[in-house]
Parts: sequence; C-alpha cells; structure tokens
Amino acid sequence: MALTRLNRIVQLSHTVSLTRPLHGSGCGLQLGAATQTEAPMESPRAVFRTSESEPASHGEQHIGQFYTIPPSQVKTIFPHGLPYRFQQQIKTFNEACLMVRKPALELIGYLKKADPTHPSVRYVLYGERGTGKSLSLCQALHHCSLQDWLILHVPDAHLWVKNCKELMASSYHRARFDQPIEASVWLKNFRVTNERFLKQIKTSQKYVWSKREFTDEGRPLGEIVDQGVTRVKNASDAVGVVLKELKAQARPGSYRLVVGVDGVNALWGRTTLRKEDRSLIDPSELTLVHNLRKMMKNDWCGGAVIATVTQTGSVFTPSSAYLPQELLGKEGFDFLDPFLPVLVPAYSEKEFESSYQYYRDRRWIQHHTGHTEEGKKELLFLSNRNPAALERLCAFL
Amino acid sequence: MSKMAASSGRALKSFVQGCCGCSSVILPSIARNVILQKPAVTVLARLVCTSSTLQRKNIAAAGPEKYTQEFIKKQIEEFNIGKRHLANMMGEDPETFTQEGIDRAIAYLFPSGLFEKRARPVMKHPDEIFPKQRAVQWGEDGRPFHFLFYTGKQSYYSLMHDTFGKFLDIQKYQDSMRAEGLFSQDTKQVNLIGSRWMIKEELEEILVQPISDHDCLRFIQLLERILALPYCSIEEEYIQRFRRALEVQSKKQKIEPLQYDENEVAFSIGEGRRKTATATATVRDNGSGNITVNGVDYLLYFPVLQDREQLMFPFQFLDRLGKHDMECKVTGGGRSAQAGAIRLATARALLSFITENEVESMRQAGLLTPDPRVKERQKPGQEGARRKFTWNKR
Repeated sequence: MALTRLNRIVQLSHTVSLTRPLHGSGCGLQLGAATQTEAPMESPRAVFRTSESEPASHGEQHIGQFYTIPPSQVKTIFPHGLPYRFQQQIKTFNEACLMVRKPALELIGYLKKADPTHPSVRYVLYGERGTGKSLSLCQALHHCSLQDWLILHVPDAHLWVKNCKELMASSYHRARFDQPIEASVWLKNFRVTNERFLKQIKTSQKYVWSKREFTDEGRPLGEIVDQGVTRVKNASDAVGVVLKELKAQARPGSYRLVVGVDGVNALWGRTTLRKEDRSLIDPSELTLVHNLRKMMKNDWCGGAVIATVTQTGSVFTPSSAYLPQELLGKEGFDFLDPFLPVLVPAYSEKEFESSYQYYRDRRWIQHHTGHTEEGKKELLFLSNRNPAALERLCAFL
Repeated sequence: MSKMAASSGRALKSFVQGCCGCSSVILPSIARNVILQKPAVTVLARLVCTSSTLQRKNIAAAGPEKYTQEFIKKQIEEFNIGKRHLANMMGEDPETFTQEGIDRAIAYLFPSGLFEKRARPVMKHPDEIFPKQRAVQWGEDGRPFHFLFYTGKQSYYSLMHDTFGKFLDIQKYQDSMRAEGLFSQDTKQVNLIGSRWMIKEELEEILVQPISDHDCLRFIQLLERILALPYCSIEEEYIQRFRRALEVQSKKQKIEPLQYDENEVAFSIGEGRRKTATATATVRDNGSGNITVNGVDYLLYFPVLQDREQLMFPFQFLDRLGKHDMECKVTGGGRSAQAGAIRLATARALLSFITENEVESMRQAGLLTPDPRVKERQKPGQEGARRKFTWNKR
C-alpha cells in the first residue's frame, strides 16, 4: 500500500519535472519579473535575483532566481554544512546566494505539508555528479531553521568512513571503534547551530563517562556536548547519547527535528579503515555510523530525515552510479525503504541563463568572449548545463 | 685485336678515372663506341699497366649503367609481346589491354606480401622504367652536334637561349606595333590562375640533365620578365609548357548525401580514426545539442575539458552549436585519441549539411585532415623509440 502511494508520488514528481521546460523557454525571465516586488523596468541583469530571502515564501515563479542568505544566518546554520567550493565562492563574492530550484522547492513543500504526528518521512536526493544535491539539502535545512526546527546536519558522512587518523577501541562496546576527532569536530559545529535547544532539552537518564565523571538526569543537553568536546576520548559516545536523546524526545508537542545527512550511502558501503591486524572494518563497527543508522530509522515522529546519495567522495563505487539502488546497496536500500526519492537534474535553460547572468553580474567572467552570445553557447556546450562543471569552467575565465 | 682494344680501352678508362676521381661521361662511351662500331681502329696507341684492384674500383665509380637505343627498342618490343601474352593468359582482348589491366594481372599472378609498394613486381613500359638518357652527342669524328656542348649544361643553356629569343621576338613585334601606331597597353594577358611554375625536378626531367636551384631560378625569372611585356600573349603556348596545373583540393572530399530516417529528420554518418581509436558519428538535424558517446552522456564520458573542446570544435566552427544531436560509438585508443577520432568523424558527417565554401574553409582549418601521427616503433638496442639506454662510461 505504501509502495503504491510512493510510486504515485514518484510519477507525480516525474511529470512535474517534465512540464517544467515548457515554462522555462523564451520568456522565462519576464515571467519571473512580472510577479516580483521589484520594479520590472530595472536592468535585465538584476532579474535573476529575488528579494525574498525566506525559502518558505518561494514559489514556482522564483525558480531560477538567486536569493541571499544573510551572513549571520550562514555562520549559525552552516558552520560546516556548505560544500567547500561554495564556501570559497561566498568568500569571493562576499555574499551567499543560492538558486531557487525545483527539487528544493518540492522538498520544502513536502516538509510544510508533513504531519508531525506521523512517523518521520525519509527523503532521498539523488542525481548525477555536480547537479546540486548538497546545496538543495542546505536550502531545505535553511528553511527548517527559519521555521525553528532542530537541525542535525552531517555535512559528509563519507568523512567518517575514510582517512581517519586516530581510531580507538570503544570503551562502551568492545567490538566497536571510536573516532574522537571527527566526533568532537561535529559536536562543536552542532553546538553552534542549536545553541537555543541545548539549554531546553534535558537528559532523561544518568550517563557515566568514567570513574569520576558522570552527567546526572535532568541536566541540559549542552552539558553532554561540552563533555564530548572537552573529553575527546568520549566524544563518539557523547554523539551517540545526543542522538538518542533527541530521537527519544522529538514528540509532536516539543521541537521538530530534521536530520540532514549528505552522502548517506557511506553508512552502508565499505570503509577504507583497517584494524591493527590489517582486516577491513565494517561500517557497523564504527560507533558514529552505528548511532547515525539508528537515527535514520523511521520509528520516531515529529520530524523528517533528508539524505543525499552521492558518488563523489564515496569509496569503491563506480563513477557512473548515481541511482539510490546502486549507491546504497541492498542493505542500505532495505533499511531506508520506504523513502521518497527526489531527482536533482542539471540546469534547465532558464536556470543556466540565470547562473550565467549571476556570474557576469559578479564580474566573475573576465574573458571578453564570455560576454558574447557565442561565448555563452560555448559554456553551455562545454558544461552540458551541469552546475558544478559550469562553476569550474567559469573559475578560470 | 678486338680483345686488346677492349682491354686497353678499359685500362685507359680505369687509369684516367682513378686519377681524376670525377665520372666523366666521355671516356667509357668512346671506348664502347670504338669497340662496337669500329673494332679495327684503335684510337689509343699507348698501353698503360694497371693492377686488377684499380679496375675493380672503377666499375663502381662508372656511374649509372648506360642503355643504348637498340637495347631500349628491344625492351619495348619484348614488353609489347609480353603484354599480348599476358592478355591471352588473362583471357582479355590483346588489342584493348591497358596498363591498369597489366597491373591487375601482375598483382594476381605474383601476389606479394611486401609492404613497400615499390618493391613489388611491376611490368611497365620501358620508357617508365629505364631512366631517360641523353643520346650520344658527338659524331664519329668526335665533334659534338650542339654548339653549346662545351658549356657543360647544353640543354639548359640552349633553353635559355631559345627563351631569350622569344623575348626578343616579342620586343620586335612591340616595336613594329609602335611603328604602325597600334601600340596599346591593355592587351590579352596570359592566364596564370590555377597553375604554378615547374619545379627543378620537372625541369630536369624535360632537359634530361641535372641543373642547380640557381639555374632553375634564373629560368623562371626570365619567363616572368617575358610575362611583364604587354604583348606576351604571342608566346602564350610556349610559356604554358612550363606551367603545371594546381589540383583543387576540396574536390577530393567525398561528401555523403543526406539520409532521412523515419521521422523525416535528416541525418548523416561519418567515420574517423586517430592513433588506434575508430569512431562512427551520426549527426542528426533539428536537435538541441545532446551528444551521446557509447550510450553515455559526453560530460560523463569525457570528464576532461580538453576532450570536450575537441568535440565542440566542428560545431563551433560552423556556428551550429545547439542545432544538432549526435550519437557516436568509439573504440580503441586513449582518451585523447578517442576525442580526436570523434572530432574527425563529426566533421565528415557535417559535410553533408554545409555549402562548398564552408567545406573549403573546414579543410583549411584542418578539421578534415586525418592526423597521421602514430606511435613510433621501438628500435633494438634502445629503450624506446628515441630514448637510448643510460650511457655508462665503463
């Protein structure tokens, strides 16, 4: 029953994506200009921007336009969340501009309509390399934070399964392994994002860290986070505790929780880490991964889980794989099933035009041919309307 | 008697050539002429003693072998008879048996696996096989026929003399016209478009005599001087003898006609090769710039920008960037070779869609030229094609 409902939702999303180009051709920019609050008589270059900085109020007429996130929000909501190249772009242009695109709008629409009393719905963003899955996730999280949800953002789960310098055996569970550095870094960023909630939520049981340290019942969650940050040895366990508490206390009455994981296929793939006897570690033997997996189950209500499956950064996957089925593997797919897939395609004509105008406005394209029609056609061809490819192309122009 | 003459002639020849070191045409011919025509008369009275080693060396230094007129005539008769035999063997009509037929017959009867085409068995008219040689240029008394013989390059200087004679003729004609009062500057000019002057090798072929670059240059300069005169059209056919037509390169391109598939969309197929990669490209009209390589999007197949730029080049050159769809299949080679092969295949496929001027401009841009560079073979005694082994002093 749930599967048939999901199929119909998938078909709906596909049909919506098919009708999109009909609106996007030719007079797309004027369509955006007519419904804007700004005067449409302004220079055509400014039409690709919008003054609405709340993702909640974005509608279909804003597709292809850039909205700015104020720097204060960037620092609180995304201390570690944005992709590296985008962070560099923010530093260069001195502003954080995201493009309103259909997948993000869809996701935000679902989040608005979701019923908090039902079990949390899992959304999976998938698409080819460089089409904008991470940034769509960030957009959705921005919206959630403005709606005052609690944000649990894992910027790249792949970082937890590869290139770990220090790996120690877990004190809590004998067979598992801890990753103190990654855990403490994540806790620091988590604290920055959700300062407000950490004072409100109280622990429900006593946690003993070592012979002399323990956290009582009823203490604010912020103490656990501080414990994890200061005592790096217990950081992974602190993460586990935080996740458990948040999940247990996310009821319809209290706060709403959104879990955003980028690269969720890392949790069910393979790792490159080895034990001392040179045998490979399974992801389930890592504490962080184990706890995060528990989070991904839909046995709690009052929130949502948004995940991205991505091949960039994943280990032992072919570069042509981009579907959830291929990247998650059988185990992961069964765990996450049923989920709502959201395809993130490459730029449409209108979106490409808008992105090109943005780069020109920011004087990013310096080459004189880049400003001509032929130059635009060249860029279109060479990037094949892929956002990441276009960004890398314009980087040296 | 004749034997003595022969040996003395040979001895003298060997002695002189051993001393001088330069191959002179005169002496061996004198000796042979003397032997063949008048064996009784010995022109040379002195007998010089030489050793056998000197004789052996001089055979090598004699220069290319000389063929007499009778010998060539005999070869031609043999060739004609052989041609008729061959026609009989192949079951064709001996009267209408052409050189192409001969080539086919020889290739059939003597199949050769040699790679070098010039090493394979060949049957051609003796004029094409034996190099043209000058007929004997002096009479029985030893006096040369031509008045310029003693310049050394008699054919060249006689040619210059004749050409200058024409120059003087034209000037005389000009003077006569001026005298009559019919002189005018605008006269019929010689058409020089589409042809070029002869090169040194072609001039040598005509004169049957080696000349230098400087000589060829002087001759061309003289002809240009003639062309500068207003009434040069009098000697037009003399001048045209020394010009060769230039071939129009673009006519050599084979342009496939457009084909139409079931949706009335025009498409065209092209093939291209580069290094070891072969590609087949199908270019369709009324497209939007979608390109698929081996079933995969070209952005995924060629992650490197350089390869995608190669794919873009034919379309961008013809200004048809978003107008065509393309599917290609490519195998072999590496990523750069595959990109180059697809580029050539695309260019050839696009030939069916464009005008002749655009074909010519594409050819000049180098889009239609297959790249002949292949991997050079490794030589024995070296590590690679050019790299030698590390040199050790001991």
